[in-house]
Amino acid sequence: MNRLLRGLGLGGITGSPQAFAVSLGIMALLLALPALHNGYLELTFRNILMFAAMSYGWNLLGGYTGYVSFGNVVFFGIGAYCSAVLSAHHVDSLLADVPVALVCAALFAIVVGVPILRLRGHYFGIATLGIALAAADLANNLDVLGGSGGLALKQVPQEQFSLYYYAMWAVALACMLGTFAIARSKLGYAFVAIRENEDAAQVLGVWPTRYKVTAYALGAMMTAAAGAVYAPANGFVDPSIAFAVDDNVFPIVMSILGGMGTAAGPFIGALLLAGLNEILQSQFVKIHSLFFGAIIVLVVLFLPRGIVYLIGLRGGMRRYLADRAAFRV
Amino acid sequence: MAGGILAVAALGFSLVWGILNIINLAHGTFIMLGAYITWQLFTSFHLDPFLSVPIAFAIMYGFGYVLQRGLINQVVRAPILATFLLTFGLSLLLVNLALIVWTGDTRAVSPAYSGANFTVAGVTVPWTKLATLGAALLITALMHVWLVRSKLGRAIRAMAMDVGAAQLAGVRVAHVYAVTFGLGAGLAGAAGALLSLSYSLNPSMGEPFLIKSFVVCVLGGLGSVQGALVGGLVYGIVESFASQLDVTVLGQHLSGSGLQDVIALVVLLVVLVARPTGIMGRAAA
Repeated sequence: MNRLLRGLGLGGITGSPQAFAVSLGIMALLLALPALHNGYLELTFRNILMFAAMSYGWNLLGGYTGYVSFGNVVFFGIGAYCSAVLSAHHVDSLLADVPVALVCAALFAIVVGVPILRLRGHYFGIATLGIALAAADLANNLDVLGGSGGLALKQVPQEQFSLYYYAMWAVALACMLGTFAIARSKLGYAFVAIRENEDAAQVLGVWPTRYKVTAYALGAMMTAAAGAVYAPANGFVDPSIAFAVDDNVFPIVMSILGGMGTAAGPFIGALLLAGLNEILQSQFVKIHSLFFGAIIVLVVLFLPRGIVYLIGLRGGMRRYLADRAAFRV
Repeated sequence: MAGGILAVAALGFSLVWGILNIINLAHGTFIMLGAYITWQLFTSFHLDPFLSVPIAFAIMYGFGYVLQRGLINQVVRAPILATFLLTFGLSLLLVNLALIVWTGDTRAVSPAYSGANFTVAGVTVPWTKLATLGAALLITALMHVWLVRSKLGRAIRAMAMDVGAAQLAGVRVAHVYAVTFGLGAGLAGAAGALLSLSYSLNPSMGEPFLIKSFVVCVLGGLGSVQGALVGGLVYGIVESFASQLDVTVLGQHLSGSGLQDVIALVVLLVVLVARPTGIMGRAAA
C-alpha cells in the first residue's frame, strides 16, 4: 500500500521522508531558541508550535481518514478551559492541566464522534462547525466558565516563562512523532483505507466507525494539549479566545499548504503560515485578515495538494498542471 | 415572519449545494452584501428598500457568476475540502473589505413607514414584516416557475440529475455552473435586502444565516424549492419559540435568545438522526 500511495503522488503513508527529516531538524533547532533570551521571538515561535500541534490534531482525521472537521477549535477550547477551571481551584501545574485536558477532550470526542461520524462529507463538516459555534454560545452563557467575562489564570513568574515555550515544543514534538508512529501502524493504514474508499474498507474488515472515532479522539487530544498549555501561557481565557474562528481555520489551511495526510505537512504549513501571519499582523494591523483570506484562496487554487506533495512530485510542471486540470470544469 | 427571508436565503444555498455540490461558506457574506447594497441605495438615493430587492439580486447575480466562472470552476471537481476552504477564504476577504468600505459601525435602513402596523385579533402586525414575508413568498414562487419552465432552468435541473447526460444533451457545464452560483448569490442578495428592514447591519451579520441556511436545507430536503420554503417557515417558527425559553440547568441560567447556534445545532442533529432526507425530501443525498 505504501508503494501504491507513492505511485499516486501521495508520497507514501507518512509523506516524503526528506520533508520529515527536515522538520525534525528544525524542531531540534527550535529547542535552542530560549537561549537567545528574545521574548518576542519566543512568543512568536510558541504560537507557531501551538498551530503545528493543532494542525496535527486536524490532520489525523482530515488528512488521514478524509473526514473534514470544521470545528476542531472546540477541543482547543476544552483544553484551555480545563486549565482555567483547574487554576480557579488553585491547581496550577501543566503536569495536571495537560492530562486532564487529554481525558476531557478524548471523552468529548468519543461522545460526540459516535453520532456525527456517521455523517459523510458536507454533513459532517457542518455538524462540527455547528458544535464549535454552539460550544462558544454555551461558554458565553455558563457562569462556571466565567461567561463572556472569561477566567484569569495564575502564571509562573516572568523569569520562568520559557517553561511554557518548552511545554509547547514538547506538545508539538509529541504530535509530530505521534502522527508518524500512528500513520505507520495498523491504524494509519486503516485510516487511509477509509479515506480512499470507505465502503471497500468496510468490506475488507475495517470497521469504519471505530477507526474514525479513534482518529477523531487522538486528534482531539493533540488539539486539547495545545489549548491546555496556551491558557496559562496567555494568563486569561474567554470564549472569543478559546473558540476563535482563526484557530478553527488556520490549522486546516496549514495542513493543506504543508500536505494533508503526511507527517511533516502540518508542521511545515504552520511554520510558513503562522510565520507569514505574524509578519502581516505587524505590518497591517487592521487588514491582515483580508490578506489571510487571499492567501487561503491562493493556496486552494494553486497548491491544493500541499508542499510535501510538490517535494515528492515526479514529472515536473506537466504533471502539476495535469493534476490541477483534473479539478476544473 | 423571519421564516420567509430564511426560505429565500436557504433556496440560494440549496441550489448551489444540490447542483454544484458546494457548501458555500460565503453565503452569509453574500446576504450581508445584499443588505449593504440596500443600505447604500437607501442613504445615497433614498430608494425604497423593497425596490432594492431586484437590484441587490442583479448585482449579486453578476458577482456570483464571475466568481464561479473565474475562480470556483477551477477546483469544483477537487475533494470537497477545496471548495469549502475557497468559499471560506472569499468570505473572510469580503467581510474585511466590507469593514474597510462601510466600517464596523452598526447601520439601519428605516424608511418612513417602518413603524406602521395594524392589529388583528389582538396581535399587532407591523406592515413591513408582512410585506417582507409577501416579497419572500413571491421570490420563491418566481424561482420555482423559472426553474420548471425556462430552458436554462431545465438545464440546471438536468445537471442536478446527471451531469454527464446533461453535457451530452448540449448543456454548457461551465456556464450553467456559473449561472447556478450566480442565482445562489442573487437570492442571498435579495434575502439581505429584505433583511435590512428588520435587522441592524454590520459586516459580520451574515454568519448566523449561513448555519441557519444549512439547517433549513437539511430540514426541508435538499435541492427543491418546496423544501427550502417549508424548511424556512418551520425553522422560523421553531426558532421564535425556542428563543422565548428560559431554562435553568444545574444552577446555570440559560436564556434561549443567547443560544441561537445551539438551537440550530439541536434542530440539525434531530433532523439528521430522525429524517435524513428532510420533510419534503425523497431520495437520500
